[in-house]
Amino acid sequence: MLFAQILVNGVLLGGLYGLMALGMALVWGVLNIVNLAHGALIMLGGYAVYFLFTGAGIDPFAALPIAMAGMFCVGYLLQRFLLNLIVRSALLNTLLITFGLDVVLTYLAQLAFSADFRTINPSYAGANFTLGGITVPLARLAAFAVALLLAGLVWLLLNRTRLGRAIRATAQNLVAARLYGVDPRQLYAITFGIGAALAGAAGGLYGVVAQITPYIGTSLTAKSFVIAIIGGLDNPLSVVLGGLVIGIAESAGSLYLGPTFTDVISFGLLVLILVARPARSLRTA
Amino acid sequence: MKRLLAMAGATALLLGLSGAAMAQGKTITLGAAVQLTGSLANTGRYYRDAYQLAIDAINAKGGVKVKGESYKLALDLLDNESDVNLGVRQYVQLVTRDKVNFLLGPFNSNDALDDSSVAEKYEVPMVEGGGASGQIFARGYKYIFGTLPPADEYYRSTVEMLGKLDPKVRTVALVAADDSFDVSVAKGTRKLLEKAGLKVVVDEQYRENSGDFSSILSLIKSRQPDAILWSGHEPEALNFIRQAKSLNANPKYFYSFTVGVPTADFRTALGKDADYAFGMTPWLPSERLTDEWFGNAAAFATLYRQKYGYDPDYHAASAVADVETFVKAIEAAGTLDPKTVRDAIAKVDFHCLYAHVKYAANGQIDLPQTVIQIQDGKLVAIYAESLINKPLYPIPPWDKRG
Repeated sequence: MLFAQILVNGVLLGGLYGLMALGMALVWGVLNIVNLAHGALIMLGGYAVYFLFTGAGIDPFAALPIAMAGMFCVGYLLQRFLLNLIVRSALLNTLLITFGLDVVLTYLAQLAFSADFRTINPSYAGANFTLGGITVPLARLAAFAVALLLAGLVWLLLNRTRLGRAIRATAQNLVAARLYGVDPRQLYAITFGIGAALAGAAGGLYGVVAQITPYIGTSLTAKSFVIAIIGGLDNPLSVVLGGLVIGIAESAGSLYLGPTFTDVISFGLLVLILVARPARSLRTA
Repeated sequence: MKRLLAMAGATALLLGLSGAAMAQGKTITLGAAVQLTGSLANTGRYYRDAYQLAIDAINAKGGVKVKGESYKLALDLLDNESDVNLGVRQYVQLVTRDKVNFLLGPFNSNDALDDSSVAEKYEVPMVEGGGASGQIFARGYKYIFGTLPPADEYYRSTVEMLGKLDPKVRTVALVAADDSFDVSVAKGTRKLLEKAGLKVVVDEQYRENSGDFSSILSLIKSRQPDAILWSGHEPEALNFIRQAKSLNANPKYFYSFTVGVPTADFRTALGKDADYAFGMTPWLPSERLTDEWFGNAAAFATLYRQKYGYDPDYHAASAVADVETFVKAIEAAGTLDPKTVRDAIAKVDFHCLYAHVKYAANGQIDLPQTVIQIQDGKLVAIYAESLINKPLYPIPPWDKRG
């Protein structure tokens, strides 16, 4: 029974992890930018939903699309006017500039929002139901469903629309895509915008299950990074799967090995996978 | 010739100015590297604000008298960005480059543990009000003094109170983080529980900043302890409580948290879910705690709130006691010589808005913890040697709360 409960906990946690990593994997795969500011974007999304909820009284789940739209604009502008400057340059440059962006966003957030802990606490945040002796937290279940839904939508977008085809084509062969009339600057900005919107959604859901401070970004970036690699960069559904693997491994590991080992488990898995699947990691990274 | 005159004039002016600065510069500088940004900034601000408020109050009343001469206090405050290693470098810089006279501490045991080594190495006394871990004071250092009660004693009053409540607590879940402070708390609490004859059925250590307690909570749910004694820092306490609610994980009668409960921020972040939580504080803003500079603790709390816009908790009061310790010790020593002042600190014995300040041989103060509980959004003192107010006990399970 305890094991079943741990498994459920892990799956629900993993869904949220998957959503966090989704935006990072998309941007990484298409733009070849390892976005170290991804966690900071998640943090901004969290604040957006927090203020929509406490300020305007909008239900956090209803506020998600609004926050996503806002974050899309932020992402679009960032890419258009900042990141496009370095998009095809050496990896180190992209790391430097996104790291700088992370620092700037974090400190601006502390100036604007202070270091106080914020929780998005709707009346149902602690609600749960019991199914066959297993307690399922409602908010986490909803977050999990939203994560799956968004991953499905991203998959549809990439595989079934003209825009998605253009995005994939650009990722595969920039020159050929340009010959067919794709404007990469515009396309990159849209892709990064989508990545930021996904981060925003993850941030809002994160605020419902945990709490938001300006400093949550760094550890979330690290987690997203691991999941993006484990899940691979080309399929959004496999990113969510990667999230589930990490979620289950962490919650089972913290019970049977001890909770101090959660980071060892996720980064250990990363090392194992890099060793076991070198060809694939090289191709996608 | 004219140019020479002008230069001589300018030099004279400069000399005059620096002379004036010297005359005016009868200052004693206290240096500190505190968490102004980063993950601990929310508690670090208590030290920034309380140090400044104490120094302003002392200067307003004539500063420090050293052999009949009056000195002003000044603060040299750096931001360690919640980074222990940066903090150590900054303390070295404060001592060697800024040449501050004495050192005040950072927040948090991990920081105080490492930063105090700088004080010891350069033989400059540090009085810190942010690190409670026994490790800080177990190394035979001579230049570190602390005004937080020992971490391994945090649960003493709580365990004592549990012995007097009905229904009786027999089994306990102990959950503590893996940093210096919480390891000390867990070690001390295990001893206390053993002495009281309580059985520990869950004893889990978690990774600081991991944020996920669902496994520990599921374990607690399956073992059904009577009480949960939790130790860690405030963000993790928030996570623990919210996740306990969403998993409907309950102790049978009681849970308590080392850190978080006394702060206003804890209550605003959790809202109604903060209710019933027990905690502890070595300090409450009472009028009975009189103070030479602020009148009493209640007046200090009012002034603090007016100036900074949020309520002080024991971190702030402890920081004030650190500054006042230096004033008392320097005046008693009659010199700014670090060694003499160090010996004077070891002998100080005074009452202030924080507590009766008197350091034990290892450098740490001894101070009982008052058990507190959040009742209907308000902080209520429950127990210190005897019951003060009626506790809401046993705590209702999550699904039975209105």
